[in-house]
Amino acid sequence: MTRSSSSTAGLADAVNKAVAGVDDPEYPGVSIVDLGLVERVDVTGNGRASIGLVPTFSGCPALDVIAADVRDAASAVTGVTSVDVHWLASPIWSSDRITARARKALADRFTVAVGNDDEAATCPRCGESTVEQSTFGPSRCRAIHRCSGCAEVVEVLRA
Amino acid sequence: MEAFEGFLDDGGIVEPDDAMPDAYREAVFRFIEMHANSELMGGLTERDWIPRTPGLRHKMATLAKTQDEIGHGHLLYMVAADLGVKTRTGMLEDLFAGRSRFHNVFHYRAKTWGDQVAIAFLVDAAALVSQQAVFKVCSYGPYRRILKRIIAEEGFHMRFGEERMLRIAEGTDVQRSMFQRSINDWWWPALQLFGPDSRPDDVLLRWHIKSERNEVLRDRWVQKFVPLLQGYGFAIPDPGLAFDEEEGHWVSGPIDWEPLEKTVQQAGPDSARRIGEAAANWADSQWVRDALDRVAALPDVA
Repeated sequence: MTRSSSSTAGLADAVNKAVAGVDDPEYPGVSIVDLGLVERVDVTGNGRASIGLVPTFSGCPALDVIAADVRDAASAVTGVTSVDVHWLASPIWSSDRITARARKALADRFTVAVGNDDEAATCPRCGESTVEQSTFGPSRCRAIHRCSGCAEVVEVLRA
Repeated sequence: MEAFEGFLDDGGIVEPDDAMPDAYREAVFRFIEMHANSELMGGLTERDWIPRTPGLRHKMATLAKTQDEIGHGHLLYMVAADLGVKTRTGMLEDLFAGRSRFHNVFHYRAKTWGDQVAIAFLVDAAALVSQQAVFKVCSYGPYRRILKRIIAEEGFHMRFGEERMLRIAEGTDVQRSMFQRSINDWWWPALQLFGPDSRPDDVLLRWHIKSERNEVLRDRWVQKFVPLLQGYGFAIPDPGLAFDEEEGHWVSGPIDWEPLEKTVQQAGPDSARRIGEAAANWADSQWVRDALDRVAALPDVA
């Protein structure tokens, strides 16, 4: 009994790790787990994995690609017999789900800031505040800002 | 200029407020302006295909790609305007009056879904190959930082392009012959996107605005797409195409550059219609800009 549950826990760990290895298709090197897209990973005793994801916005074109990458990653784990990946209607994603590690990677590697109604974006280059120039940028989850200090054109990932 | 070139040769990155020779400023500006124009013209074409894209999933992808390209255009126009050569409005007015350049491929008309797939597959790949070569060295900081994101997003578009291509390749005979016609029409424009062989004195290379010569990039694209398309049983519309067994290398036949020259003169097969429609869109949306200006001018009541 103990042995079976500990191996289930081991399998769940392995699936979690595999899912954490999936990057956002538009930010190579930034994990979808760190972006707050993974809500639940459940693994049953007989190796059935069920993974619940939350989209940044429901019309995101990357949903299928992300789900396929998650399915592939989880399926590759030894002991996993089936994988169910689904997009959840709740909770609703917001930028406060993004971890400090992903914020740093977005800022340092992609010059992308994070912001929302409660959290003003700051310039990834100089740390000054930014001013919105366009509510939507290349994607509906991003706005275009300009830094009030160094004038850098900054994309802001936000809910 | 000599000191500046030495700085660039050492991998120096130029920021908007740095001192830079006028010729460099002008060259970087022209390059980014053309990229911005191409994103905008490409986005407008993509938009035309939103209602005509088959299937909800791919319709969503077309919608998102349109947003993406208009967004890229927006970012690039801001970065170009910061160079102080032209204002953003000045760039748009020049574009719509046919006074400035955009990529040759947007001077042709996409008539069928096969054409759209050929564009997503062949043309987007050509654009990606040349953007990667710019990103590798680009000496102008703001452009380099935006390119990094654009390249990641274009790579994502490629996944859709490949999927669409596979669907047609594995489709009915009618679909396959439609796609062959699209390859016939788009192979040469896509190949010419790289431009004629780089001149030995090309300042874009000297100033590390791009890293590789046009013919090298063009060749890289040929090596990838000839075997790929042939592998799916499609023919390459180049009667002079040959395989060098010794080098294991595809060699294109002679290239007729006149069609490219025509697009440079805004006299490509679809140039007049494309520019005319973009100009009409700009005029039709004047009321939106006016309304935004009026809102911005209101006293702050909060």
